[in-house]
Amino acid sequence: MHGIKRKQYSREILKQKRLQDQLKIKTYNKLVDETLTIRDNKIFTSESLQLTSKVLELNPEFNTVWNYRRDIILQLQDTAPPEFWENELQFTMEKLKRFPKVYWIWNHRIWVLNNYSQASTKIWIRELSIVDKLLSMDARNYHGWHYRRLIVKNLETLKNQLMDKEELGYVTTVINKNISNYSAWHQRVQLITNLFKEHELNKKEMKKMVLDEISYITNAIYTDADDQSVWFYTNWFIENDIVRLVLTNEEYMKMLGEMKENIILINNDDLEFSGKENNWCLKMLIVIEGALKSTGHAVETDHTKEYLNKLIDLDPQRKNRYLYLLSK
Amino acid sequence: MSDLTLLKEKHINYIEALDKKKDDYEYWLSEHLRLNGVYWGLTALCILDAKHAFTRESVIEFVMNCWDPRSGGFGPFPRHDSHLLSTLSAVQILATYDSLAILEETNKLEDCTKFIISNQLPDGSFQGDRFGEVDTRFVYTALNALSILGKLSPEIVDPAVDFILKCYNFDGGFGLCPGAESHAAQAFTCLGALKIANKLDALTPKQIEETGWWLSERQTPGGGLNGRPSKLPDVCYSWWVLSSLSIIGKLDWIDYKGLRNFILEAQDKIKGGISDRPDNEVDVYHTVFGLAGLSLMGFYDLVPIDPTYCMPTSVTKTFKKYPYELNNQ
Repeated sequence: MHGIKRKQYSREILKQKRLQDQLKIKTYNKLVDETLTIRDNKIFTSESLQLTSKVLELNPEFNTVWNYRRDIILQLQDTAPPEFWENELQFTMEKLKRFPKVYWIWNHRIWVLNNYSQASTKIWIRELSIVDKLLSMDARNYHGWHYRRLIVKNLETLKNQLMDKEELGYVTTVINKNISNYSAWHQRVQLITNLFKEHELNKKEMKKMVLDEISYITNAIYTDADDQSVWFYTNWFIENDIVRLVLTNEEYMKMLGEMKENIILINNDDLEFSGKENNWCLKMLIVIEGALKSTGHAVETDHTKEYLNKLIDLDPQRKNRYLYLLSK
Repeated sequence: MSDLTLLKEKHINYIEALDKKKDDYEYWLSEHLRLNGVYWGLTALCILDAKHAFTRESVIEFVMNCWDPRSGGFGPFPRHDSHLLSTLSAVQILATYDSLAILEETNKLEDCTKFIISNQLPDGSFQGDRFGEVDTRFVYTALNALSILGKLSPEIVDPAVDFILKCYNFDGGFGLCPGAESHAAQAFTCLGALKIANKLDALTPKQIEETGWWLSERQTPGGGLNGRPSKLPDVCYSWWVLSSLSIIGKLDWIDYKGLRNFILEAQDKIKGGISDRPDNEVDVYHTVFGLAGLSLMGFYDLVPIDPTYCMPTSVTKTFKKYPYELNNQ
């Protein structure tokens, strides 16, 4: 159970609840028994489909009944009217609205789309706008993002055309709305990686993308220097092959130098404002120093030890990690 | 905060009473999780050194009634369809009771093994059942169950490991499939699967350090752990994060005291049991993972728990270690 407030029932209320439950249990168990019995008898009719709807209405987590429902659909599909699959999508949507975190419902919807043989590109595009809506209501929904990737992949196959550029646009809009949306930053990494891996950009575009990304990151860390989302992204950006490939060694050093300057500025601001240095600034300065060293250039003064010692005091929860890094 | 202590007796009573709630509608609505629930309850009791609170014979009888003759696996409740998740729970419960032999005696061992293996897909991943849902949870579930049954082989393990490695992300975490966002529970399933396969060294030391970093950042200022950045802490991550850190040998990369207090504050001081967060409704799932977290950190003389299997180490030490030819006794 997640996020349900604890209740201490009084004896009287408990008695009342038990009384009400008695009837509910009787109805539910009778319905379940009836459904599993016709399943055992291998009855696959629209009446049995109705019965599964009734059970799932009461309990959307009953995966055995979802399974039975799919078996019925497979038997009925050849004789089903055209609106049949649409109704099935409608059915899962009602459930998803009420229970957006139930795995079984998401599974069923994916299964329906995969088996809906007349599902045209139009239907998958509609699906994408549905998932837009779901993610706008619950921007970190793990299933929602997974589902979005599945739909996009299918659309790419149907249209025989990659959608990384459009999706990057979407992800940027989502991050601009809330910079702490780690799901979107994660997806940004996937999309940029794909754009390079699938050679979707020419040389000039590649360079522009990396340079734009540097200013995007800079803006983001100035916007919220306490949020770990952008820092994990920055950590990836500094160390990934794409940037090393596109930028010359000199340009890379320049990028690191400027990032370092900006981070030191932010850190000093924090120190002035709150009397404390910013943990994440220090963590990232260590990464930048590591990257500078990896370019083969000697770092004038090595601050890593100093930063780690500061972090032991400033971020005591993770003290042993810093001690480990110091001991290396 | 000063009166924070582990309410062992209350938790034992709470777990013992779980199966006596047949008057509650919710009891029936959760049939689909019953076998998993029995495993969580039994493991919690083991950690509290109170295994006797469940009646061994009736639990084993219930497990065997959950066997699904049409597939050879176990469902979560009698008459329910088999699934890898409930099949693992069945195998874990039988192993905890040292009664795996019943599978052979009733001619179910071969069918059960076949059911698990039949759900592996060409890319090495596993689907939860015949309807095709793929998730690293199921790779772990399958390897764990096969490992307990002593039925792993390179044909199964090698492609499964390849699949798991594709789920490693830029931040050091793991997702539910290649390309999916890192999630602490998926980190546990992926690291657990690699550990069972004896393939943790497929990750470089640098990769493992990144994993440890991302996991250690799951600890929130209040001491509790979350499953993803910017999410609320939740007691179940005391297990998913801690077990993962333990598997990679970096258990102490978070603050024990803060986490201990967060878990203890989530106890129901009247009814017993532990909830996801303080003042929320308790359940057996959060109870076992809260206790397992406390055990891993070495608090309250709890019975030691194996971070890879989430079962008492006294049980898991009897499992045949893979690869078999090296360790075969």
